[in-house]
Amino acid sequence: MWGLLSRCGPLSVLAATFLLTIGGLFVGELQAVLVGLAIEAVLIPILVGRAGIPPLRLLPGIVAMVSVTWSNWLLAEPRSWEIALLAGGRVAFFVLPALVLVCFLDPFTLGDHLGQRLRLPARPVLAAVAALQRLESLSADWETLDRARRVRGLGPGRGPLARGRHLASMTLALLVEAVRQAGRMTVAMEARGYSAHVGGGRPRTWLETAPWTREDSVLIGLITAVAAVPALIQLFG
Amino acid sequence: MSQQFAHPTAGRHTALAKHGPFAWRALDLITLAVLGVALGVAFWGFDTFLYYPLKALLAGFPPAQQLMLGIWILPAVAGMLLVRRPGAALLCEMVAASVEMLLGTEWASLVLLAGLLQAMGVEVVAALWRWRRFDLMLAVLGGVLGAVFQIVLYQWWFAAREFSWAWKLIYLAAGMISGAVIAGLGGRALIRALAATGAVNAFPPGEEHLIATGELTTDMVPVGEKE
Repeated sequence: MWGLLSRCGPLSVLAATFLLTIGGLFVGELQAVLVGLAIEAVLIPILVGRAGIPPLRLLPGIVAMVSVTWSNWLLAEPRSWEIALLAGGRVAFFVLPALVLVCFLDPFTLGDHLGQRLRLPARPVLAAVAALQRLESLSADWETLDRARRVRGLGPGRGPLARGRHLASMTLALLVEAVRQAGRMTVAMEARGYSAHVGGGRPRTWLETAPWTREDSVLIGLITAVAAVPALIQLFG
Repeated sequence: MSQQFAHPTAGRHTALAKHGPFAWRALDLITLAVLGVALGVAFWGFDTFLYYPLKALLAGFPPAQQLMLGIWILPAVAGMLLVRRPGAALLCEMVAASVEMLLGTEWASLVLLAGLLQAMGVEVVAALWRWRRFDLMLAVLGGVLGAVFQIVLYQWWFAAREFSWAWKLIYLAAGMISGAVIAGLGGRALIRALAATGAVNAFPPGEEHLIATGELTTDMVPVGEKE
């Protein structure tokens, strides 16, 4: 079980996050969700094992938990800390583990699994995977655009309004560049048989296989059990 | 399309997807995906640098935080307005949500669920007009329905479950306003701005722009592609 997540495929990892969300739907008592959170606090680090995750990735989840608690204290009826903490705890129950789990997703493996195992239409899946590969070059494009503008004397002024305008025109320029790149990518991908299987052509081949392993089943089993904990406590506790 | 002659004012012509709504081209799919990635990065930038200060600023009146919701629905509206085929909103929005998830965000993989619900709002509106109407009305109603799906099917069950009914409805109204203004008007403005640069001439909005500027006349569009 130690470090199980590194050995799981992307589908079981994603499914696990949704199972916990479904479990969160049935959370109705503060005590039950506290027990659930305690079990997660023990289990999730074991599943992560030596791989570790950047702790900063959890910060947005903590903000979410605090903000949901706060807004429920303000607006829930009747007003009480118990209800507010229940709402916050419910969010923490599925968001915190999910933030850990998604660190183990790789978009390219996910594409292989979505196409082969879930049988999603191949062309949109591959378009998404190919586009995700542009993610890094996108920031390089941004810097090039920014430098080009400064050289031409089109850099932002000092006021927040001027900065905002600069940001908006840069974003549009980046989108234009992205759309043009998409045109070139289309030519390159079509030349490599991207649409060859459309209309009963040759069957598509994939780069990697997409197996469902024993580890995937173990993860689903464990997470299903954890997700059911609050509901079970409420039923029998 | 005779509509052009009935209303001689510029910009009246609605260009539709080539060869009917279901004939997806490789260019449609790849452009939507790339646009989704670019907008996903923009999301993440907003999430990381602007969202938290704004959220803290609005903490005294939490429903007002929903006035930001439209930002996340914008890729769905923009994708549908650009490509005008069933599933266009879904593809653009899901790619943008995936990028947001991979770069790190508040709701982890739940942004995929949120993206699905938001995009379905736009898809439903486009389907109701059988992919023949892509004007301001579609953009605004799509943004509003996306917000309704997101809040009624997701937020009300989690973030706002214990709210009183009055507050739930105010929360919903704020989301709908945001869906109409930011996603609807904003998405349409974005696609029009893109069309004006000439970068999307291979897509219906580009065609509309060329007709509006007089560079293309409706009788130059092949007969089979007119409605």
